[in-house]
Amino acid sequence: MEIKYSIQGLLIYATIAAYLCAFVTSLLRREKTGHILYLFGFAIAVFSFGYRWYHVRHVPLQNLFEVFLCLGMIYPVSLFCRRILRVGGYSADMLIGAIVLFPAGFVFNAEPQQLPPALQSWLFTPHVAVYMLSYIIMAKATFQAISQLAGKGPNPNENLLPPEQATYRIICIGFPLLTLGLVLGSYWGKKAWGDYWGWDPKELWSLASWLVYVGYFHFRYMFGKKHPRINSAWAIAGMAAIIITLLWVNLSRLFPGLHSYAT
Amino acid sequence: MWVALALIVFLLFLSIYGAFIGAARAKSFISRLPVVAYWSAFLLLLILGLVVFRRLVRVPGLLLIHTGCVFILAGAMWSSENGHKLQKKLFGIDKITTGQMRIHEGHSDNHVILEDNKQIKELPFSIELKDFQIEYYKPEYLHIQTRDGQGWRIPVEIDTEFPLGPEFGTVKILKAFENFKITIEGESKKIIDDPQPGSNPALEVQITPPQGQATNRYVFERFGGHARPEDKFALSYRRVISDYISRLRIIKDNKVAAEKDIEVNHPLSFGGYHFYQHSYDAEAGQYTVLMVVSNTGLAVVYAGYWMLCIGVIWHLWLRHIVARIKLKNA
Repeated sequence: MEIKYSIQGLLIYATIAAYLCAFVTSLLRREKTGHILYLFGFAIAVFSFGYRWYHVRHVPLQNLFEVFLCLGMIYPVSLFCRRILRVGGYSADMLIGAIVLFPAGFVFNAEPQQLPPALQSWLFTPHVAVYMLSYIIMAKATFQAISQLAGKGPNPNENLLPPEQATYRIICIGFPLLTLGLVLGSYWGKKAWGDYWGWDPKELWSLASWLVYVGYFHFRYMFGKKHPRINSAWAIAGMAAIIITLLWVNLSRLFPGLHSYAT
Repeated sequence: MWVALALIVFLLFLSIYGAFIGAARAKSFISRLPVVAYWSAFLLLLILGLVVFRRLVRVPGLLLIHTGCVFILAGAMWSSENGHKLQKKLFGIDKITTGQMRIHEGHSDNHVILEDNKQIKELPFSIELKDFQIEYYKPEYLHIQTRDGQGWRIPVEIDTEFPLGPEFGTVKILKAFENFKITIEGESKKIIDDPQPGSNPALEVQITPPQGQATNRYVFERFGGHARPEDKFALSYRRVISDYISRLRIIKDNKVAAEKDIEVNHPLSFGGYHFYQHSYDAEAGQYTVLMVVSNTGLAVVYAGYWMLCIGVIWHLWLRHIVARIKLKNA
């Protein structure tokens, strides 16, 4: 762990602070102030991402630091889920934003790297961006699943979906993105390395993550009404697979492979 | 449906197992007979599911998703090593599945070393390497590090002096070499940048301490410097590769059939094969290593990808939006 005494580091810490203040303010039932702080934090997160983009001169999605910087721009997903999908957990999203920025701010190496030849493709940005968007959406689904298991629901006055239905709706949004990410990665693998499926640990864990959600849909269709808690367990298992795909595969020596440039 | 869920869970555990054993062993494991039987069963059950469960056919999104999976599986099986063996048995088509070619600059070859590194097969055409180039990001950098961890990254700009602070003085890069060589002429040594084939990148660096004589040193990219006890700095020269380019020409029936500059992410497609920039001569940059891959089954796999993506997007996103629009209009 190290403190980053740079403009980039300060921007990340400011974003974390804004998100945490927004979260605490929302818990104290000052929703309007919380919303303003959340929006302010998002603005800093966007500026931070843009600053990194300017600094490295390519879309900053190359390593874990940049990817987690991107994940910190969670506000649009929050707003979409709240306004369009009628899904709660707006305050929890502020906490998610702070949590994902923590490793970017204190753990991951922020040393800029030039893009190696393998990453110089038009597919680089859509493949990674689509995956990151799906991950943040599935993280939100996981919070709803945990709420369902904890027996917590939204306020009846808020006109929001119950947690199990909310989990399903959010997964319906995230799953096509997960599928797109997997397919784009496969297509890119064919273009770059000659194989659309190299049995690389990253590819296999990505497939495993995708299959958990395939299993979720099948299980929910067959038994969802009788066993809503198991539906939520599937969603949480999916998030566990995603965390392994994103972190453990990249950071552990247990899984060396073609995706090692992502560390 | 129970069977479908069981197959999905089994594939999930198979993927996790494959991730733990590593790519090479996973690839070998997946081609073994019991696993091939599993793939075949999975494919047949997917097709059977489409026949038995009417909903999968009636609902367009579900039809696309499941048919897409059939296409992906079928295409993947057809393009595998076993699939190629089956093609040879059934149709007499003898194609190379995967292999590598090492071609020297100015030469042509049609021999492909197969994946087992033992067998060699010939292509029905040859490939000539006109030229091989490596490009580096600019500027290149000289890295300087002191014993107490202080460091500088100096861009390679000839004859530009860079201050290192009052304690350490200044540094100037006098010359950059692509192929550093020492020749002996009579009794004297001469340092040249050899135009002959070879690669020994180096920098001539002049360090001027705050009080004292300037000293010249050579820093080699490929060989780490030997630090002497009196040295205040460790110097290293690093270049970052931005691209590798192989200028290729396909010769068939003594005529040039195709020409392309291939790079990573920009392969050459010809004669039922794709040719990828795989590796190169790291010593002297005189040869390229191409990966040769058969394109059998690829169109089927890609069709499956399209169907899967369109099916998922339609079923989970678009049909709800369309239904809402219809409701609004009604």
